[in-house]
Amino acid sequence: MQDFDAAGVAVYALSYDEADALRDFGVAHGITYTLLSDPDSDVIRSFSILNTLIDPNAHPWYGIPYPGTYVVSAEGAITHKFFDNNLALRAGPEQLLRAAQGQPMLESKPNEAAPEEVQVRVALDGDNLAPMVQKDLVVRFSVPTGRHVYAKPAPQGAAAVEVTLDENERLVQRPVVRPTSEPHALAGTEESFQVHHDVFELRLPLTVNGSAGSDAAAITISGEVSWQCCDDEVCDIPTSQRFELTLPVSEPPAVALGNRRGATLEPNAMAHFQRMSERRRGSD
Amino acid sequence: MQPELETRGTRTGTGWQDHDGFVGPVQPGTGPRSDPRGDFPTGPEIGDAMPDARCIAADATQFDLHAHRAGRPAVFVFYRSAVW
Repeated sequence: MQDFDAAGVAVYALSYDEADALRDFGVAHGITYTLLSDPDSDVIRSFSILNTLIDPNAHPWYGIPYPGTYVVSAEGAITHKFFDNNLALRAGPEQLLRAAQGQPMLESKPNEAAPEEVQVRVALDGDNLAPMVQKDLVVRFSVPTGRHVYAKPAPQGAAAVEVTLDENERLVQRPVVRPTSEPHALAGTEESFQVHHDVFELRLPLTVNGSAGSDAAAITISGEVSWQCCDDEVCDIPTSQRFELTLPVSEPPAVALGNRRGATLEPNAMAHFQRMSERRRGSD
Repeated sequence: MQPELETRGTRTGTGWQDHDGFVGPVQPGTGPRSDPRGDFPTGPEIGDAMPDARCIAADATQFDLHAHRAGRPAVFVFYRSAVW
């Protein structure tokens, strides 16, 4: 939260819980951002994100949204959205902060190091992985000046930049976020294809699940980055580079009820849950 | 838009595992695990003006999103519940 404060980014979290339940939750977990109460799901409905798969008589679940996050510019426009089919999965703080700061980098930027060969660096944007909380595995390319690598989709017979993870049943990954590519015309022809140049990033969103071995305090992530580098005249053969990172796995996010590892029971949670159910039952 | 309900899941020793490998006490496709399959509503689009959100805050005061953020960029999270 300090990072959001330092960046001047306001943080809000809205749910269908009663205000007093949120107050207890905020105190139990030392929450400093603004918790908002929408007990009749009015705001949720006004955004058209009420979860309509839940029967209105299914107490107390009816009224929840399809969970997700909007990132809003200073001018009030939506710049990023984070929603996922799996309702347990949520955008991580690093993803949200980068988005609020105008990241992920959507375009190439000038290369200060001017390498002679393509350089690739793979790192997690974050200190650790936690179950259900998504973070980006960042693949940063530096391409020599005057050269380019093929973007996706590459022309036939060429290889686009790609990052792939080795099979790991503990990992949950989502499609790679790619920067905007630029058209590159071959001299003397009308042929044009999409490329990246200078410095750019691929971001692979991932998190860990609760499958076998999930109690381990660390996870090793391995995989391969591949690309094909060209200049206006010649192309190198496709190249790949292996990577392996070992990352700590931390506790899952706080929940009020529940007996998961790392879960902190908010003392009044059961009372709030019962009241929530009764109130909803009574409002039929 | 009414999406399809995602019901894939298997029973494990510790609960129900969904197709992403997340384990929970509730069977996928029921209650709080009513996940959509395929396209589902995600509200206003990127590039749209963020609608206002007026409700009450945890301290029971009235809240108005655009007045509160007062020209700051913001992250606005809709989540399921702080109680369960």
